[in-house]
Amino acid sequence: MTGFGTVTHKGMSNMKPGFLWFVAVGTVFGMFGASLVQADDLNDLFKGYLKSKIAPPAQEQPVTASAPATQEVSADKPADQLLKALMGGNVSEQEEVRIGQQIAGNLLGAAPLVRDDGLQRYVNRVGRWVALQTERPDLNWHFGVIESDDLNAFAAPGGYIFLTKGLYQRLNSEAELAGVLGHEIGHVLRKHHLKLLQKSQGIAAIGGLLGRKLKNEHEVVQNLIGNGAEVVARGLDKDAEYEADRIGLVLSARAGYDAYALPAVLAEIGHVAKDDKRVSLLFKTHPLPEDRLSHLSDAVADTLDALPEGQSGTGRFYRLR
Amino acid sequence: MIRVSQRGISHVLVSVLGWSCLLFASSVFGMAMPPQKPTQSVAAGSNAVMLKADDLRAAPDSKSTLLLRVEKGAQVRLQVSQGGWSQISSAGYTGWVRVLSVRIQNKDGIELSDLGALGKKPQGNVVAVAGTRGLDEKQLGLVSYDAAEVERLRSYVIGRQEAEQYAQAAGLHARDMSYIAAPNQ
Repeated sequence: MTGFGTVTHKGMSNMKPGFLWFVAVGTVFGMFGASLVQADDLNDLFKGYLKSKIAPPAQEQPVTASAPATQEVSADKPADQLLKALMGGNVSEQEEVRIGQQIAGNLLGAAPLVRDDGLQRYVNRVGRWVALQTERPDLNWHFGVIESDDLNAFAAPGGYIFLTKGLYQRLNSEAELAGVLGHEIGHVLRKHHLKLLQKSQGIAAIGGLLGRKLKNEHEVVQNLIGNGAEVVARGLDKDAEYEADRIGLVLSARAGYDAYALPAVLAEIGHVAKDDKRVSLLFKTHPLPEDRLSHLSDAVADTLDALPEGQSGTGRFYRLR
Repeated sequence: MIRVSQRGISHVLVSVLGWSCLLFASSVFGMAMPPQKPTQSVAAGSNAVMLKADDLRAAPDSKSTLLLRVEKGAQVRLQVSQGGWSQISSAGYTGWVRVLSVRIQNKDGIELSDLGALGKKPQGNVVAVAGTRGLDEKQLGLVSYDAAEVERLRSYVIGRQEAEQYAQAAGLHARDMSYIAAPNQ
């Protein structure tokens, strides 16, 4: 898991006088026994706090300092509620969506939506139909294809699902699209990323700031998810990926599609050279396709034998030029 | 390994001439005829490897005659996949194993999609191209929130009713199916 941090461009530009940011660089911390601090006058004040809260070396640990009294929020404002919910592990759907939206917006800052209304509508129709087969059919599911030659797909809490144009162009059918979206939907259903955030040491660090009051909810969320959209580049554990594969297969089958379409995508991805840059992030954050196929194969065994053949939807598949 | 036999030669033919010849070869050599068109784009007569040990059966049905046990890691030739089954040749036998038990192997630099199959547009070389827009951790860490793109994303969101209408028009019918548990390790 990568470090927890914040200081984005936006964060910097939003800084107001009195907002003091400082960065604790783990390696420096380890070497000198002190944090690298941008706001020197707060150094002593927070040194003790950092020493106690931020342990492991080699990770960046920016922490947001307190706001001046005039901009403080009271304990029952959304920012603090969110913090408490995260620390307690009982995040409401509204808060989950808030976190997901922040991650989605940051990811879109890196790779905007492909400018093709027909494509985006199509992906939302298929995605929503697949999502209707889940225990969260009424979540406000968002689907998007983003401008990137990489082969990858992303999920953020609250129902935000993206796949890259590079991956989309590799797909052969609507059933394959449904399988890929189903995998990501699986991450949302099982709250894999939310749990990752809750487990991260960052939450402990922010927790320490609870009494000090962060500026607003936006700041809390951005602090929680770290730098930009870096959270989507953090790998989940392998079992979470295998679970999402099983869910993706089941959801596409429930939606009436060929259940074997997701494995076909995995096989296809497996044929991309391992050192191809377009799959470097995917392979860094996921088990290799052959291992995923192998797990899926063991899990499925004979469970699909009685299932009537589903649709491939090849003819309907929206092709990008 | 595959024996070079008359049967083997027919497979070479198949790989060269494609699906239409598979139908021809099937009738000549009496192989089981797939009842339906394959649903997956799989190159005929491709090198493949067994991901797990499986029973090779005479027909795509778990109750049909058992021909052979094919071990994990065995090199086989894969003819075609259809629904949950793949037709393969191994040790002189041709029969069917579960589609998830076998995986096509590609030669270096040649992708599955380039091997023929069903009218798929080649997507270019697998060699990494300099200057393509990638998404790595470093880049992702530097970005900031794009409110206009979030708004655009929101504009494409559709409701339950529209999704159901789409499915109905497409002839997609929801089916009951339980989630699948993790395999026993």
